Amino acid sequence: MKKYWRCFVCGDIHFGVKPPEVCPTCLVRNAYVEISSDEAERTMRPTRTTMTRSEFRAAIERFAEKNEFQVCPDSAKVEMLFDGLFANEENYGLKYCPCRLRTKDFNEDLKLVCPCNFIAHETYKGKDNGECWCGLFIRRKK
Amino acid sequence: MSRLIMFHARECPHCKAMMPHVDRLEKEEKVKFDRLEVWHDEKNADLMRSYRPVIAPKCGGQLRTPTFFNPETSDVLCGEVSYEKLRDWALKQG
Repeated sequence: MKKYWRCFVCGDIHFGVKPPEVCPTCLVRNAYVEISSDEAERTMRPTRTTMTRSEFRAAIERFAEKNEFQVCPDSAKVEMLFDGLFANEENYGLKYCPCRLRTKDFNEDLKLVCPCNFIAHETYKGKDNGECWCGLFIRRKK
Repeated sequence: MSRLIMFHARECPHCKAMMPHVDRLEKEEKVKFDRLEVWHDEKNADLMRSYRPVIAPKCGGQLRTPTFFNPETSDVLCGEVSYEKLRDWALKQG
């Protein structure tokens, strides 16, 4: 039966029948201890980033440039949304969409983390002027 | 007139766009909204969450802002809408 194992030196998680003899990350021998699935799930949860606003801006620009959408050209709107995203990360741990309220169910609320899967949402899918829930991303004009 | 609630968020552009409509509606009609901010006030957030079973199905399965809500009838209007649509919704609440 497969179990979760965690390297007590570097924190790497392994899922398998037995742990690696040598941790592939920190190379320490016999460093794995068995942990519960709950602890493994908690350990693997996404956590807050250390991105600055300009780094986040650059990241979403890169995310958008290969796609059919772009970052909203209204800079005042984008700044307002950044205020919300960074406040939510500061207060609640992740960049939750400022235009939807989290439910307090961690896994459910992962759907609200920016950028969300908005291409499947009613505000975007099949619409020429589609945008994500909050309007940070808009469909690129043809 | 029923007690009406506007759930909104401080950094939500749709909420910001709706505020002048709400101001105008309160000025022109006998309508009053409790404006409850939900991302910086956990009490308001918990109140909105308590209505999730009736709000979410009418708002794309989510707790979106802005959401206009009548707690007496559970009638919901969500998202950024025209002044006329908001007015018609508010006036039919009685």
